[in-house]
Amino acid sequence: MNELQKATPVAAAGTPTVSTLQRMKEIASVIEAGSLSNDVRRISRAVRLTIALRGHLIPQDVSMFLSFALPASSDAYSCLSALLPKKHGMVVDVTASESQNSIKHGLPEIEIYCYLLVLIVFIDQKKYDQAKACANASIARLKNLNSGTVDVLASRLYIYYSYVYELTNTLAEIRGNLLGLYRTATLHRDELGQETLLNLLLHNYLHYNLYDQAEKLRSKAPRFEAQSNQQFCRYLFYLGKIRTIQLKYTDAKESLFHAAQKAPTSALGFRIQCNKWAIMVRLLLGEIPERTVFVQQGMKNALTPYFELTNTVRVGDLEMFRSVADKFETTFRADRTYNLLVRLRHNVIRSGLRNISISYSRISLSDVAKKLRLDSMDPVADAESIVAKATRDGAIDATIDHANGWMVSRRRADVYSTNEPQLEFKSRIAYCLNMHNEAIKAMRFHPNSHKDRVEKLHDRHQQEEQDKRMAEEDDGDF
Amino acid sequence: MDPKLTEVNQMFARFKAALARNDLNTCEILLSQLKVQLTKFPSLPPLFQQTPNAVEELKLARDIYEHAVVLSVKLEDQDAFERDFCQLKPYYMDTCGIIPPSPEEYPILGLNLLRLLVQNRIAEFHTELELLPVKALEHPCIKHAVEFEQSFMEGAYNRVLSARQAVPHETYVYFMDLLAKTIRDEIAGCSEKGYDSLSISDAKQMLMFNSDQELHQYITEEHPEWEIKNGFVFFQKAKESQPCKEIPSLQLINQTLSYARELERIV
Repeated sequence: MNELQKATPVAAAGTPTVSTLQRMKEIASVIEAGSLSNDVRRISRAVRLTIALRGHLIPQDVSMFLSFALPASSDAYSCLSALLPKKHGMVVDVTASESQNSIKHGLPEIEIYCYLLVLIVFIDQKKYDQAKACANASIARLKNLNSGTVDVLASRLYIYYSYVYELTNTLAEIRGNLLGLYRTATLHRDELGQETLLNLLLHNYLHYNLYDQAEKLRSKAPRFEAQSNQQFCRYLFYLGKIRTIQLKYTDAKESLFHAAQKAPTSALGFRIQCNKWAIMVRLLLGEIPERTVFVQQGMKNALTPYFELTNTVRVGDLEMFRSVADKFETTFRADRTYNLLVRLRHNVIRSGLRNISISYSRISLSDVAKKLRLDSMDPVADAESIVAKATRDGAIDATIDHANGWMVSRRRADVYSTNEPQLEFKSRIAYCLNMHNEAIKAMRFHPNSHKDRVEKLHDRHQQEEQDKRMAEEDDGDF
Repeated sequence: MDPKLTEVNQMFARFKAALARNDLNTCEILLSQLKVQLTKFPSLPPLFQQTPNAVEELKLARDIYEHAVVLSVKLEDQDAFERDFCQLKPYYMDTCGIIPPSPEEYPILGLNLLRLLVQNRIAEFHTELELLPVKALEHPCIKHAVEFEQSFMEGAYNRVLSARQAVPHETYVYFMDLLAKTIRDEIAGCSEKGYDSLSISDAKQMLMFNSDQELHQYITEEHPEWEIKNGFVFFQKAKESQPCKEIPSLQLINQTLSYARELERIV
C-alpha cells in the first residue's frame, strides 16, 4: 500500500483518469515484482487491488495501459487493441509515467493481466461478444503457460470466462473446454486452478439441472486442502444442493450450514441462496427453523416466501400450504426449489397429525380427515392409512380402532428419561470441539516469531543468572 | 434414399409386425440385428455427425429404441429396460433442435419413473424428476407417476390402489402389478403397528385378498407372530411391556474417552 500512497500525491495534479492509470501501473509493477520473486501472495494482492479499481475502469485507460505494458509487436497487444475502441486524442502525461517505473516487457503475467483487465472492462460495459472473443483468446494463450504465479491470474480468468458465457446463456458450449482445462490443471498440479475449475464445472451442470453428472464428476475428482476460502464455500454449496436432491438431507444440511458460515459477510447474495436451501432442507428433515434465521441483516425480503412456508409447515394446514405454494410459485421456480416444495406436502401432513395426536386423546378418523383438509375421494380411508404409516415411522404414538373408526393417542413417556438429551448434547459438544480444532489449525504464526521468543527466554535466563550471582556476592560481602 | 437406410427400415417393419402379433422370440432376434445395423450410422450418438440423412436416421433410431423399451416390458426384463432406456435418453436430451419430439416420449419417461419406484431407487427418481421441464409435469403419464410416489410416501395406500386402476397406458400394468406386492407388505407393516386387532373381513379388505384362505396363507408365510382368534387377527400382544432399557455401555465408554482426549488437547 505504501507504493500506492507515494504515487497518488504525485499524480494528483493530473486529471482523474491519470490516477487510475497510475494505479494500474503500480499494480503492474507489483505483479512484476511478484513474478520475479515467485511470490504468489503478491500476485493475489495485485488481483485484489484490481478488483477494488474495477468501478473506475474505462476502455481508454485500459488501451493506454496496454500500450505501456505490452511490447507493440506481441500478438496479445494486437489482439487486445483490435478489440478495444480507439482512443480519441488524449492528453497523456507521458513524462510522469516514464519516470515512474519501467516494466520488463514480455512477462507472461503482464500479458495475462492485460487480458483479465480487458475482459473485466467488457463485462462491466455489457459488450458480451467482444468479451467472448477476448476470453477465447486468453484461454488459447494460457494453454502454453505453466507457472505458479500465472495460475492465480489464470483462475480469475476462468471465472470470468464462464461468467461471460453464462450471461449470454450459452454455458453448455464451454463444458468441453472447461473439462479440458481441468485436465491440464490437474496435470500441472495447479491446485487453485483445479478447485476453481471444478466449481465452475459443477455450476455448469447444476445450471442445467444435471445433478447426476455433477455428482459423478464430484465423486471422482481428487480432493485436497482448500486453497481459497471462497472456492471452498462454493464447493460446499454445490455439494449441499446435490445431496438435497438425492434425499440425503443430513449431509446436505451440514454442507449448507458450513457454506453459509464460512462465506464472507459481504457476499450477501450467496448467503441468501445458502440460507434458502438450508431452510428447505431443515423443513424436509422435520425441523422448524427459528425466527432469527429469517430476520438476518439484509435478507428479510428475500426470505419472506420461505418464512410463510415455514409457518404453514409448523401449523400443519394443507390448505394454507397450497395457497402459499401458489402465491410464491414464481419465486420458488426461480430458486429451483419448487420440486423440494412438492416433497414438503408430506411433512405438512405429518406435523398436522402430530398436533392432533398431542391434543386429543381420542378422535374420530373423519374428524382427523377434516382437520387435515385432505381432499380426495375417500378421506377417511386416506386418513386411516396415513395415521397407520405415521405410527410405524414413529412420528406419532397412536392406535386405531377400525371397528369404531377412531384413533386413540397414547401418552408419550417423559423425554428426559430416554437417551435423547444425551444424543443432543453429544452433537452440540462435537460441534464446539470441531470449531475449536479448526480455529487452532487456522491460526497462522509469523515464521520467525518463535526465534524471538527463544531469544527473549535466553536473555531472561541470563539476566536471572546475573541477578543470582550478584545477590550471592552481596551476601558474601555482608 | 440410402440403401442402408432402406434395409434398416424394412427390418424395422418386420420387427413391428412381430411385436404386434406378440411373437417375442422373433422380435428379440430382429432387435439385435437392428442394433448392429444402427452402429453403421455416424450421425447417431455419441458421434452426432452432420450427415445429409441425419434427421431420418435419428428418427429411425429413436423409434427402434422406443419399441425396444416396449418389448422389454413385455418380456418382463427390467435390466433390458434399463439398458434400452439409457440408450434412448440421449435422443430425448440432446436432439431437441434436430428432430421433432416423439409422441411416445412422455409415456416412456413415466414408465422409467415407475420402474425406479418399483426398484426403490427414490434418489434417482427425484434426480430424473429434476431434469424434466415444467410442462412435462402436466402430462398425465408423468403426473400419474409423481402422484403415485406422493401417495406412497404419505402412506395413503388406498389412493395407490385406485391409481392402479387408472393407468394411462397399457404398458404400465406390468409395473403396477409388481408394486402391488410391495404395497401389500407395507400395509401389513403399518397395520401391525397401528392396530391392536382387526376383524378378518377388514384385514382381508385392507390387504387386498379375495378369500379368507389367501389371508391365512399370507399370515402363516410372512407374519407367523400374528394370532388368529375368534375371527380377529391379533397383532403382537407384547407391545405394551417395555423391557427395561439397557444402558448402551460401549457407546458411552467411547464417547467419554473421546471427550477426555479432546480435553487433554486443550492447552
